[in-house]
Amino acid sequence: MTKGKKPSESYVGKSVRAKEARAPLIGKAKYTNDYSFEGQLYAYILRSPHAAAKINSVDLSGAKKISGVHLALCGRDVFEHTNGITDHLNPAIFGGKSTRLPIMAVDEAWCYGQPVAIVIAEDERTARYAASRIQVDYTPKEPVVDAEKAIAKGARSVVPEWDDNVLIYVPFMNGDTQAAFDQADKIVTTDVKIHRFSSQPMETRCYNAVWEHDTESITLYGTCQNPHPLRLVLAETLRMNENKIRIIASTIGGAFGLKMHGHPEEPLICLMTKLIRRPVKWVENREECLLIGAREQQHKVEMAFDSDGNMTGLRDHFLANIGAPSACPGWGMAFLTGLTMPGPYKVENIDVHMNAVTTNKPSWNAARGYGKESTAIALELAMDNAARQFGISPIDLRLKNFITKEQFPYPSPTGLVYDSGDYGGVLLKALETIGYEDWKDKQKAALAEGRHIGIGMAFELTPEGGTIPGTMVAGYDSSSVRVGPDGTVRVLTGITSPGTHNGTAIAQIVADELGIDMDRIEVLQGDTNSSPYGFGNYSGRSTIVGGGSAALAAKDVRDKINAVAAALLEVEIDTLSLSEGVFSSSDNGDATVTFAEVCYASYTRAYDVAMCIDPPLEATRTFKPPGISHLPDENGRINPYPSYSNAVYVVVCEVDTETGKIDLLSLAAAHDCGKVINPILVEGQVCGAFAMGLGGALTEDVQYDANGVQLTKSFKDYVMLRMADMPLVGMAHHDSPNPDNYLGLKGAGEAGVGGSAAALVNAVNNALEPLEVVIHEMPLTPSRVWSAIQNANNSEGVK
Amino acid sequence: MEDLLDISALIQLRVDGQFHELDVLPSRTLLDVLRDDLGKKGTHLGCKTGHCGACTVMIDGKVAKSCITMAATLSRAEITTIEGLADDDGSMHPIQQAFWDEAGLQCGYCAPGIVLSSLELIQDNHNPSTKDMEVALAGNLCRCTGYQSIKRSVTEACVRMYPEKK
Repeated sequence: MTKGKKPSESYVGKSVRAKEARAPLIGKAKYTNDYSFEGQLYAYILRSPHAAAKINSVDLSGAKKISGVHLALCGRDVFEHTNGITDHLNPAIFGGKSTRLPIMAVDEAWCYGQPVAIVIAEDERTARYAASRIQVDYTPKEPVVDAEKAIAKGARSVVPEWDDNVLIYVPFMNGDTQAAFDQADKIVTTDVKIHRFSSQPMETRCYNAVWEHDTESITLYGTCQNPHPLRLVLAETLRMNENKIRIIASTIGGAFGLKMHGHPEEPLICLMTKLIRRPVKWVENREECLLIGAREQQHKVEMAFDSDGNMTGLRDHFLANIGAPSACPGWGMAFLTGLTMPGPYKVENIDVHMNAVTTNKPSWNAARGYGKESTAIALELAMDNAARQFGISPIDLRLKNFITKEQFPYPSPTGLVYDSGDYGGVLLKALETIGYEDWKDKQKAALAEGRHIGIGMAFELTPEGGTIPGTMVAGYDSSSVRVGPDGTVRVLTGITSPGTHNGTAIAQIVADELGIDMDRIEVLQGDTNSSPYGFGNYSGRSTIVGGGSAALAAKDVRDKINAVAAALLEVEIDTLSLSEGVFSSSDNGDATVTFAEVCYASYTRAYDVAMCIDPPLEATRTFKPPGISHLPDENGRINPYPSYSNAVYVVVCEVDTETGKIDLLSLAAAHDCGKVINPILVEGQVCGAFAMGLGGALTEDVQYDANGVQLTKSFKDYVMLRMADMPLVGMAHHDSPNPDNYLGLKGAGEAGVGGSAAALVNAVNNALEPLEVVIHEMPLTPSRVWSAIQNANNSEGVK
Repeated sequence: MEDLLDISALIQLRVDGQFHELDVLPSRTLLDVLRDDLGKKGTHLGCKTGHCGACTVMIDGKVAKSCITMAATLSRAEITTIEGLADDDGSMHPIQQAFWDEAGLQCGYCAPGIVLSSLELIQDNHNPSTKDMEVALAGNLCRCTGYQSIKRSVTEACVRMYPEKK
């Protein structure tokens, strides 16, 4: 079970095999789409082919005539039955705009792919066919596609009742940035363009809503990261009591933020079962999944430096094209990009402006990194640009400007409080892992042969476990530990797993706290009828708060078990020891009692030996990470994060200057996620994020035409990295434990997309330095790289 | 859709050792038949365009994408899905065990396809190079692992299945 674990050793810190991985390997995992019920019906959603259009009429009669169709509804029909979808994260809380968010387009479509009508039928094929018979009369409008044009004077408002298209504008200001720039020895400006790329889990979304006739309630089987908060949204949107809705988030086939709620299909499919009183299933197809956007931002990063290369001021006025209004929390990514400036650098004078711009593109949802990846991309491209302009090493420039070990806890200029870290140490470890000096030699030798090898590095600060006051994005979570009369254990937890095996990490923690074998522990997640109220999976929080709360609950239960064991052995509690499931005492020679016997006595001898405890052997505890502060400081700022994981990514690549093609040669990462519970699982997270970031920087790109019609519709157009594209990642841990969290945990799942993407861009620019070519726009497709080389050649010719 | 019944095709499949005779409409894929008619939910739908490989099965011993294989074209075929690898008592095939031990999967949605593509490779080539793996698994996307643990799992599976080769 555990590689190299001896009975006396702890599980924490060992590469324990994931309990959850067995079922998918034998084809027996139950993903949401694997559930079907008696009388199952299927939904097909007709979507707008226009980015912006007036809907003059929707004629459903053609669909209703088809045999096997049970119901066909347009947006207005659905509107009558529901409230607007409750925001996952209401922008109005932060001074932004809000609007009613209808489940389907009513009178007006505001993006390509917006739901316009729905058909429910006996099978998927009939539903799809019937939907093709719906006649919708549109009057297309000039769409607002580009963020810059969307905020230009006279631009049409995407939401008619708004004065402009800025969903939310937030300045992040500190110190005297103007003075810093006035007195600067050198100012480096870097225009960074980040394109639209998203997380695309292998399992698309699926909702199967079941009407429970006995209790007049709904059970939703759904691909959902946050079952309890979604339940509240559904109750409000469907005008139902929250206690009449149960959500079962079964095995999830990857999420990466995309399965956080706010999607119109969640209440829509539930409404269908409420109206028809039969189970209704909807399975998202890949084209629909590709509608869900993220990350598109354009930055103008200006850094002021003194003559020694110390950054004295940072300006960044950036735009995020967040698409059409949505109840999903995607827009918050742009907010986080601003909030986490200036990342790992100790500059205090900052002038950062975030503009989240509404357009007629499909909406964003959360995507791994949640905006912090864009902070890393903007800052790290700019740092390399500055190093080039100074003619110094990008390593030295970073080391000079990093917050130092001694400065923690470090108050950031946006009000965050970084808990701990050794940023310079992480960078040096990453460089050592890749063999930096060797690669420098190889780079020189290659250049002599006319080959262009580049080495790029990037730092990513990934605050984890975040919480926003007044929202269902909570900082804490709860777990119940229940030990049965046979000594086996159920852990029920409010956090969920998107497929990362955090249940195994929690079982490791609980096994250590109870002093028993992991095989006796089952971890149950994702069912609102059994789990304690919880907030699910986001922000790298699951092991921090799920593991932390389970540890507290396990300690409480262990105290009860110890008391009964001591009573049975007639000894003092502090003389007990537990080894391989058997209690003994230093005070009572050979007398022993098994863990299971103690548990049985705890349940059955409440009036004699076990009088010392309150049965049953259960406890529910909450872990509230103490690092969070929602009480504003003197500047009105809060610290929504308890924990600041960080990492450095290094990429070595070769650029073919004839074709613009990039070959990856070597990769390394050094990571500070606090104490590592399970190294093989953490390494899996890092490697996966590395591939996601490199894919984003190289080939993943959701494209639109000038009319806002999405051109990227399948994995043929949306090109994710395959095995042959990914070299092995050299991995190093450089942990500085969080001083406040259980076991020093910092969070391990979210980091890596921005750091790896930025490292790749920096590596390409490093490779092309001899040609004086610099690219700050992603993705680095061969055509973009080739064009940049050609343009540099041409401009040289003109000179 | 009764009007289409007269052009349905009769096919004979042996799926994971069990014989089935099925009347299928021309529009139905092997994936539809496996999941909806035969309850083989271990084979997954990921893209419906043949790009992701989550639906990979073996047809007569060779891997194929069941989402773009029309069932009616398989008049007689032997199909192996991920559910056909383990023993009846639930004990895993050594390749499944290797993937489990080496964390060759996270969310597991791609795992059935990746395991079958890997199995096809190592049955023919007991000591595959990284390049061989990259070719054999070119048709399978994984979004979680970055492929590193998959390569490790395939190597480990070879060691376990063909110890004499190492």
